[in-house]
Amino acid sequence: MLRRALLGLVALVPLALARPVLAAEAPSEIKIGHLHAGSGPYASISMPVYLGLKLWVDQTNASGGAFVKAFNKKIPLKLISYDDQSSTATAATLYNQLITQDKVDLLVADSGSVLTSVAVPIAREHKQFLFDPTGTGATFFQNNPYIALLADPVSTIWPKYIADFLKDDGVKAGIKKVALLYSTNDFTGTQATALRGFLKTPDSGLEIVYDQGVPTNTSSYTVLINNIAAADPDAVIALGYTGNDIAFLRNLQDSGNKFRFLFAIYPGIETDELVKNVGPQGLDGVFTYVTSAAIAYKPEVGPTEAEFRKMFEKANAGSGVAYGFNAIAGYTTALVLQETLAHADSLSQADLRKAVFGLSGKLKTLDGTFELDEHGAQIGEITPLGQVHPEGKGVKITVVYPHDLATGKPVFGKP
Amino acid sequence: MRRTVGRRGTGDLLIALVVTAIMAALPFGYSNELLLFNFVTFLALSQGLNVLYGFTGYLPFGYVGFFGAGAYGFALTVMHLNWPPLAAMAAAGVAALILAAILTPLLRLSGAYFAIASLAAAQSVYEIVANPALEDVTKGPYGVSLSGVFAPMFSYQVGVAVLLFSLVVVVWLRNSRFGLALQAIREDTVSAAMAGVSVVRGRTIAWLLSALIAGLVGGVYAWHISVFYPDTAFNIQFSIFATVFVLFGGATTLIGPILGVVILYGVYNTIGITVPQYFQLIYGVLIVALVLFLPNGLVSLATRRGIRVP
Repeated sequence: MLRRALLGLVALVPLALARPVLAAEAPSEIKIGHLHAGSGPYASISMPVYLGLKLWVDQTNASGGAFVKAFNKKIPLKLISYDDQSSTATAATLYNQLITQDKVDLLVADSGSVLTSVAVPIAREHKQFLFDPTGTGATFFQNNPYIALLADPVSTIWPKYIADFLKDDGVKAGIKKVALLYSTNDFTGTQATALRGFLKTPDSGLEIVYDQGVPTNTSSYTVLINNIAAADPDAVIALGYTGNDIAFLRNLQDSGNKFRFLFAIYPGIETDELVKNVGPQGLDGVFTYVTSAAIAYKPEVGPTEAEFRKMFEKANAGSGVAYGFNAIAGYTTALVLQETLAHADSLSQADLRKAVFGLSGKLKTLDGTFELDEHGAQIGEITPLGQVHPEGKGVKITVVYPHDLATGKPVFGKP
Repeated sequence: MRRTVGRRGTGDLLIALVVTAIMAALPFGYSNELLLFNFVTFLALSQGLNVLYGFTGYLPFGYVGFFGAGAYGFALTVMHLNWPPLAAMAAAGVAALILAAILTPLLRLSGAYFAIASLAAAQSVYEIVANPALEDVTKGPYGVSLSGVFAPMFSYQVGVAVLLFSLVVVVWLRNSRFGLALQAIREDTVSAAMAGVSVVRGRTIAWLLSALIAGLVGGVYAWHISVFYPDTAFNIQFSIFATVFVLFGGATTLIGPILGVVILYGVYNTIGITVPQYFQLIYGVLIVALVLFLPNGLVSLATRRGIRVP
């Protein structure tokens, strides 16, 4: 009797040993951790990203969840998003909360470089891969295997087309003197530095006659515009966040000053917001970055820009959040998450990273081609140069540079 | 009498050690060490403010200036001199002491004038640090990254050591002749001077001690978070929170600021995370209720009845 029992036990040993080798049980939900700024200076770039991401989560859950290759089945998503109120100190605590307490599977940073910056060392310390929607600070990607920039290029790449255009078409049109006004933060400060480097080459034919950084919370530009006018530039490049652009363009309109070339970042990025606050006439002739909001890319994954716009506006009607590039960035981030889950061998951070980098150059969304360099910096979703023209009660944006993407010719102001 | 004071001092010291031990041990049971670190930061900062406000009656709205000076004292020595973090902590304290020495003439002011002048001084230091023209020195408005010395657990424990230092300073002030002299100055400057108390010396020492604590807290904060901007290190919220915590709990005591931090910062984190939109409303109601019904802080519930509060 005892012998039979012992034999039975011995027979069970291989089964017991084999048990850990079996695949881990599928979780009941995939937790996505995120921060958004519901108030403060970064709310205007953060809320659209959050709502874009939330829209995808709601859509995915309505269809039974996201397909997770590691478990070969659809699993519902749970979005845990805290409000950091645009405070880096609060954001740091909340990123820690998401990693250590909520134990999220996927960590998505808040929008913009400032609120992403505090997530970078925390994610690296905890060996948690950081899905970075729009934090473009170049330093994030130095010696850091735990990050990838998903929806727009690093800050140093953004202004390249402005410089190339001025050196090419601009000089031919008689532009020689350039004024540079920028807000002193990571996003625009880095662009200003890069632009200076691009323009100050011996053969550029351009001279920077005004170069001024101002705090990001600057809301009155009247004196600065007069100072710029006194330097008599042909081209004025204003680099700021949405609020800065609105204040600058309004003050410029009131001042009556005109320049042959005027550039601002956000008319092409948060177009609806700028039209609402500055008006189509105030944006007439302004050069700007062109994002996927104005270029109809043909996506292979997810909706087209036009389809997404309809979905976003329907889902967020009455929210007060304007549709623009940041909404696309939020949804693009979501599509990268979707494809990551569909390709990762497991939910380990190493496998998630491998899956994200595996998508590089292959994933085409409404935001263009997703492509990473070896450090995780985005280099595929480019920002060509465009120009705003009033059209009815709104505006139309034409791409003017590079020439192979151009949909119209640039129109310079009168000298 | 002396024996009673000695016994009370031992009791106060025991409380300081228990609080320190609890804060040192908590990260081993709760893994969001950054949240715990914020508690340590405000516990130490509110005791630093307590040294000045509780014992001299000076309320510096610009207390964050010393905190920011400490944070940048730490960051600059790490960035430019490659000092190890512990040596840079000393630099943080020295930076705050230098700033305090420069601002000592502010002690000639009093009441609201002193409060506003200290705020203006802190704002001036912020503007200098954040000046884009000083980007090569301070990194200007673009912020500091100290990823090379990022060590969350070690810096947390150093933060706890700073907390212990701040608590011991308050214990000493509550149980020493010097602390009594400061309280005499606070109550009636002329009478204290007539009784032989050196008013200028007493106030200056309290001012420097308070600045030193804020500088050390700022230094360890910079070390712990490792990425910060001038508007993070000089955020007026640090002054406001430290002031509210001290007033809420009860100044001049050891326990008062601790109660203020545990209750109010606890509420802040609970509401701030779950329903941030109601945070300011709830916080405002709490503070108004305090001012109306307990103007001397929570500890006055006991002191009113003749119970000594540590």
